[in-house]
Amino acid sequence: MSKQLLEIKDLSVNVEDKEILKGINLKINQGEVHVIMGPNGGGKTTTANAIFNNPIYTKQGGSIHFFGEDITNLKTDEIARKGIFMSFQLPEEIPGISVANFLRYSKSKMTGEPVKMVDFQITLMKYARELKMNPKNLQRSLNVGFSGGEKKKNEILQMLVLNPKLAILDETDSGLDVDAIKTVSKGIEMFKNDENAVLIITHNTKILRSLKVDFVHILIDGKIVKTGDASLAKKIEEEGYEKYKAEVEES
Amino acid sequence: MEEMILNETPVRTSRNFHINDIKLKDIMIPENMTSFHNVLIQQDTSDISIDENIDDISCIYGVGSPLMNMPSNKTLKMTINSKSNKEVKVDFSFNPDNLNLMDKIELIANENTNATVILKYEATCNEACFHNLILKVFAHENSNLNVIIINFMNLSSHHFMSIDNELGDYANVNYTIIDLGGKESITNYYSNLVGKASQNHINVIYLGKENELFDLNYIGELRGEKSDIHIEVEGALADHSKKHFKGTIDFKKGAKKAKGNENESCMLLSDTAKSLSLPMLLCSEEDVEGNHSSSAGKIGKSELFYLMSRGFNEKEAMKLMVRAKFNHIIESIKNETLKEEILQKIDERLD
Amino acid sequence: MKKTNLEEINRNIYDIKNKDEYDYKIKKGLTKEIIEEISKQKNDPDWMREFRLKALEVYNHLELPTWGPDLSELNMDEIATYVRPKTKLSTSWDDVPEDIKNTFDQLGIPEAEKASLAGVGAQYDSEVVYHSMKEELIKQGVIYTDMETAIREYPDLVREHFMKCVPVYDHKFVALHGAVWSGGSFVYVPKGVKVDIPLQSYFRLNSPESGQFEHTLIIVDEGASLHFIEGCSAPKYNKVNLHAGCVELYVRDNAYLRYSTIENWSKNMLNLNTKKAIVGRNAKMEWVSGSFGSKISMLYPMSILNGENSKTEFTGISFAGHGQNLDNGFKVVHNAKNTSSVVNAKSISKNGGKCTYRSLVRVNENAINSKSSVSCESLMLDDISISDTIPVNDIRTDEVEFSHEAKIGKISDKAIFYLMSRGLSEEDAKAMIVRGFASSVSKELPVEYAVEMNNLINLELEGSIG
Repeated sequence: MSKQLLEIKDLSVNVEDKEILKGINLKINQGEVHVIMGPNGGGKTTTANAIFNNPIYTKQGGSIHFFGEDITNLKTDEIARKGIFMSFQLPEEIPGISVANFLRYSKSKMTGEPVKMVDFQITLMKYARELKMNPKNLQRSLNVGFSGGEKKKNEILQMLVLNPKLAILDETDSGLDVDAIKTVSKGIEMFKNDENAVLIITHNTKILRSLKVDFVHILIDGKIVKTGDASLAKKIEEEGYEKYKAEVEES
Repeated sequence: MEEMILNETPVRTSRNFHINDIKLKDIMIPENMTSFHNVLIQQDTSDISIDENIDDISCIYGVGSPLMNMPSNKTLKMTINSKSNKEVKVDFSFNPDNLNLMDKIELIANENTNATVILKYEATCNEACFHNLILKVFAHENSNLNVIIINFMNLSSHHFMSIDNELGDYANVNYTIIDLGGKESITNYYSNLVGKASQNHINVIYLGKENELFDLNYIGELRGEKSDIHIEVEGALADHSKKHFKGTIDFKKGAKKAKGNENESCMLLSDTAKSLSLPMLLCSEEDVEGNHSSSAGKIGKSELFYLMSRGFNEKEAMKLMVRAKFNHIIESIKNETLKEEILQKIDERLD
Repeated sequence: MKKTNLEEINRNIYDIKNKDEYDYKIKKGLTKEIIEEISKQKNDPDWMREFRLKALEVYNHLELPTWGPDLSELNMDEIATYVRPKTKLSTSWDDVPEDIKNTFDQLGIPEAEKASLAGVGAQYDSEVVYHSMKEELIKQGVIYTDMETAIREYPDLVREHFMKCVPVYDHKFVALHGAVWSGGSFVYVPKGVKVDIPLQSYFRLNSPESGQFEHTLIIVDEGASLHFIEGCSAPKYNKVNLHAGCVELYVRDNAYLRYSTIENWSKNMLNLNTKKAIVGRNAKMEWVSGSFGSKISMLYPMSILNGENSKTEFTGISFAGHGQNLDNGFKVVHNAKNTSSVVNAKSISKNGGKCTYRSLVRVNENAINSKSSVSCESLMLDDISISDTIPVNDIRTDEVEFSHEAKIGKISDKAIFYLMSRGLSEEDAKAMIVRGFASSVSKELPVEYAVEMNNLINLELEGSIG
């Protein structure tokens, strides 16, 4: 029996004084893959950041529950330790701390236990190989001087190592070439199992072709205007968002 | 003659570095100055009123008291009320009958106004002239003011400027200063960005030859939230000319989210030219962004070679490179005639 | 708030106060009689006694600096300039008195000596109490000893170099040093000898209301190489202590010297230290510097690039907390063709501390084809601290590539959010970013010292951010 992982109720969010999310609702169960699609400025990235309680995004109303627990106002690191992961659209560069050391440290924070160096190295190298990452990058400073593609792969690597219950992937596919998208999709497949769930945020559909998607939500102007199965993504690919935009304007 | 100590920096460093101030000898401060007649004012609007009587103006810094306390022989007060960008141009021409000028100018940009003020100082003779300006600017809320100052004095003249600005909320003051020097050209520029989101962008060009000396002291104090100062100094030094650039960006407490940038770059056109710089950043506020960069060197050999391969001789290539360096600043001047004139003067100076 | 994965730091290590016991402590103040008494106590040769008296005269003539931190609380009448510990110089830790040995044990010196050093010198107050070096280096002709022994055993070599690189009239505190100096290390590395493992001298000031004035003189002869590490600390007292050491480095043609310092003086210390290197043809001088302690610090190591193709690098960090005013930086003079300098300076200010980066880059007329590149970064950890950057760039030739960049700002909120999304608490995220910021210095240090530096950073950060 799959359990409910995430439940967003009536969430409204502002950035500075601007209303971005205008009451969205979303339920994600274990074993599911959800996709949020929509045009730029519709609130996709805001949704991800609001789940993580990024201080720049202020919640006006609504709630977020994870495994039934209210996490709406927890601190970012507490949310992360509950088992939620977010792959950043623009991962930050942190000079002076290597990817390997960072991940080992982060993993120990997540599990609350020290991480054995040797075992960890082996796991890390395995995932890096699967993701076709240059092993040298693991010793480089976190994201510093990484290309766009390397940064995105590094995010997926972190997801695999930290092994969260829910992974939110914010525009992980944007700016990637075909091969890189394949590698990233492979990473997601490696991660996916019946216990966890994935929420993919994207504005194009390429990455969805190689993934089994359960639900597609269309987010326009701060509202989820339509929810459907994988076929909805195909429809969007063919027809674009215009039709749904018009619906929003009418309502 | 007494030695004058001028243009002190707001913060001192080791005396051995010879940059805390400038000591000048042999400067004769003219006495009994007769009034300066050769002043031409051109304007395309009545929204800027011009008056000969000014308020008692003072500067926080200024080049130094011996010069600041001199009696003036020309005063102007301009009050700006224009909503769309209007222009005033004031030409001061030095000739044997008008050799010495101590001018005090007060510039008041009222709320929500927009204007360009051009001050041009040109020597049309070869005699040694003396020029000493005190300019006080009040830029009130949401005003937009462009000030262009042109120094076309000759190489035997003394040229001093003390500029003091106070910026209100959302005021935007842009300066373009084209400084072709004099025997010495001493500038003291101070801006008090006290207004919220006030902006002050300063573009400076200097070009030195023979034994010219530039001592440029630019000070910006950021007090208002989200205030922003940008100082851009581009220069080239030929022959035995010398430049001291002292730039201070000072983030005062309360200047949250303020930004300060300072870029200074000097092209050395001879092995006897000298560039001394002190780009300071002072900071007492956490949430700010301050950057400065400073560079010096000669024209790149490869660029020079490239231009020569296209048929330019060395001198022409050098001129082209200097022009290219100054271009982005000169291009910001909208007055086409003035722009042409500046380019021509620069070419002449480089001959 | 200690939540780091680094080992717990014992903040008491640096603060162990031994009883103020000594064999001899000169009376406070600075007079001709006092200088003569120091000279007598130290058994100086005549030339040194005369040198001291001349230096005192220079001291009396020079003014205090007219710039930088306020030094008015320094009253030389309240400082004892010479304190001889109640022991003789030993070459075995077993011969060092128990309480002094304990201090150095706690600081990890004998342990580091066994693990990763080729030689160690340890000074306690005004005299060196321990000096030792590995046998094979002695065989290769390397000299590593205290200055007093050096004056006795290598009089010509010392006299030829002593305060020739840093002349007494450089500034007031160099003159003071010349008058009252005591202790310090002398190193000579013969031509072509490569000392692969570092030598370290550690300076400990225990006595209250006193000063430490050690003199370090290093000559790395042609083609030779050396890494020298200097450490220092003192327990905290209520009244000011003074440190006015002097470091003179001669890096001969084709030689290499790296000089690393971790400075952790107590926060009642006025650290007015002078360090200078003269660098020969094709030689390279590297400075690595971590400055954490002191109430006031004025420290500007200097490289004089006198030889063609000579190079220097400076990598340094200052961390100023409550009540600290660290005015540090670097000076370089390019004085020959094809010379190069690279500067990477960082500072962190928090809890009301003040950091100033003050520097000079001078490229002389003869230094054609020289290159200099300077980068300064300052981090503000709160809005009650101060960070100033005051660099002077004096370029006197056109055949030069010179560039200087400086940045000032706070820790990026985005970076904090990113790390928190990976499960780090806000404090941990900030500490990690700060350590990363400082890593340009710590990665240049041998691992034990890098760990010590990270510990010092954690110690400084503790309780201050959140």
